[in-house]
Amino acid sequence: MSFLVQSPEEKFLRKKFSDYYGSSPVAVRGLEKREFGFGGWEKKIEFRHIAFRNEVELRARLVAEAPLYISHSVAYYEFPDARPMPRKNWLGSDLIFDLDAEGHSCGKFTCQQCLDRVKADAVKLIEEFLLPDFGFSKSELAVNFSGSRGYHVHVVSDAVYDLDREARREIADYVSGTGLSFERLFWNEGKKFFGPAPSQGGFGGKFARAFVAKLSDDAFAISIARKLKKPEEKEKLKSAIERGNWDNIGIANREKKLSEKFEEMKLTMAGRIDANVTADTSKLIRMPDSIHGGSGFAAKRLASPDAISSFEPMRSAPVFGSAPLKVKATEAIPALNIRDHSFGPIPAGEVRELPEACAIYLLCKKAAVLA
Amino acid sequence: MADLLFCSHYPFSSAAKAYVSGRGMEIVSSYVEKAEERVREAIVSGKVRKVPTLSDAQEEELALYAIARMIVSCAANRYLINRYAVAEAKKTGDYLSSDAGAHPEYVDAVAAEFGIRFEKTGSQFLVPLGKYLTYTPRSTDYKLANREVASGKVKVSSHERARMLEEAVKKKIERELPIRAAFPAEVKASGARMLALLPKLEATVVKVGQENYPPCIRRMIEELALNVNLPHTARVALAIYLVRAGVATDKIVDIFRGAPDFSEKTTRYQVEYLRTKGYSMPSCATMDSYGVCIAVCRCGTPLNFRANLHGRRLAQDAGTASYDAYYVSLAGGAKEEKK
Repeated sequence: MSFLVQSPEEKFLRKKFSDYYGSSPVAVRGLEKREFGFGGWEKKIEFRHIAFRNEVELRARLVAEAPLYISHSVAYYEFPDARPMPRKNWLGSDLIFDLDAEGHSCGKFTCQQCLDRVKADAVKLIEEFLLPDFGFSKSELAVNFSGSRGYHVHVVSDAVYDLDREARREIADYVSGTGLSFERLFWNEGKKFFGPAPSQGGFGGKFARAFVAKLSDDAFAISIARKLKKPEEKEKLKSAIERGNWDNIGIANREKKLSEKFEEMKLTMAGRIDANVTADTSKLIRMPDSIHGGSGFAAKRLASPDAISSFEPMRSAPVFGSAPLKVKATEAIPALNIRDHSFGPIPAGEVRELPEACAIYLLCKKAAVLA
Repeated sequence: MADLLFCSHYPFSSAAKAYVSGRGMEIVSSYVEKAEERVREAIVSGKVRKVPTLSDAQEEELALYAIARMIVSCAANRYLINRYAVAEAKKTGDYLSSDAGAHPEYVDAVAAEFGIRFEKTGSQFLVPLGKYLTYTPRSTDYKLANREVASGKVKVSSHERARMLEEAVKKKIERELPIRAAFPAEVKASGARMLALLPKLEATVVKVGQENYPPCIRRMIEELALNVNLPHTARVALAIYLVRAGVATDKIVDIFRGAPDFSEKTTRYQVEYLRTKGYSMPSCATMDSYGVCIAVCRCGTPLNFRANLHGRRLAQDAGTASYDAYYVSLAGGAKEEKK
């Protein structure tokens, strides 16, 4: 807890957070082997190297201190509170994928398009990489809303437990298509030209499948060869590729054209993740079901990976309810919808009575003060 | 598999261990001499000779392997251990290639030592993703993104399979040695003689104005001098930094001389390659993800460190700009979570 004087807003939020932790149980897998970090009004991690022996201890601390941010290590340690780091004795880590709406233009107040897009990214990660390529089972995946505008996918599996940073980096590079090379997926042997079959694993297969699918688009087909306008020519090419034959496809400048298409399609085949998070074996990550102090939303643990497609963060993630609360906007606030309550735009300086979920969101965003 | 041929080819295996402990082994002087020769050759030429196919020689091989480990342990020097591990691993690789035809079950048995099961598919093999990542070098040849990956398995050639097992043997020996135990005086004396094989220290300490290098770069240079096996990504980053800092190729090669698997020719070629390609320096974030970032110097890229060091902003940090700063920063929680 900060020793500085707390603002009325911080005091208020901490009281609300404390009540929440007092009434809802916490559950963290391997809790006693994790390092915890707490954050406050100014910093998301103010204190770290904290350890707890059990859930009762952790919860008591949360109720007493009501940190605005609660993170735990993706790692399991023998001595999670030891320092410096090497003394903790690292045992292993979950494999983490961090998806965020970062880079979108909506700014402070996340818009629905951004939330939808990052959700689509998460679904793609799970359905095109984690399940088919890496062979994880759904029961090994834990998907959490980040509490802000992204998702965290935790892979808890013996297959990845003791992988080092370099190995994890390689996994991250795979997902984001870093280091993908046309020359390694297509190659010449003597006069023959080889390429991947659609049934093949990895990016070779992904490209072959995407390429075949795209042939249905006439503009795409014609950009490769004029004759592909004709349906029968298209079919011929498709069935050659299905057999893994890229050699006798009767297309001039075959290699050059394919490599151009490959470069074009690379980005759409790859996933969007923060590679540095995946590679970091001692990362502190938001504790599932804890409150994110920048939104007042829960870092909600989804019941299963499948639940993500129907998950609506603005509706399901807010922790607080509909009791009225008066706040004064300190900046212009756009139209928002939280917990099915539409409000705004609110000009700077105006006082409004809002349902707690909405008012607390604005307080957490530091876009309003108590009125 | 109490098969003497197998045990002699793969003396690190649990079968070989069982064979030796079943017979009991005496440490005789002639063996110590031969074992010392084995270690010497491994250190000097990077090779361990193959065993003649006589059963006496095969039994002897098991004894020599065990005594060689003791000798290296007595020397208790990282450079010697790592260099010895590389040589033993290389020999294993040779055997794996030659045994693949006549004794395919040997390869499976060696793989099983490391908990790996290679599944045959056509002329290639499928290996679990985690094992693939643990036992392949991080180089463009093994870049996962260009591999066939499906259902948690990666396709490898039989050559790559042997290479992975070689790596596994190397890691195993590096991890197991030095053995801490009371060894006979003769073995200890032999170990002491091995220390004479260490490269002259003057060769590895190279003056290149290192005091102004960022902590990560300094640490890597120090580690090389201590014969630590730096990962490939770290080596590349270090070489790019040195090239960019205007260090001559000869000096860069000298810095890498401490690497246990140092090869002058390869190093020179790679440094020159980096130089002509004009690769850009990995950012601090990338260095961090390689696991080589050890301080919070807020420079964005290690190349900015020197400029910052002499600038006003970081003047006060200059005093702690060593890798001790890593711990200082952790204590202060400065290396915080991003979001």
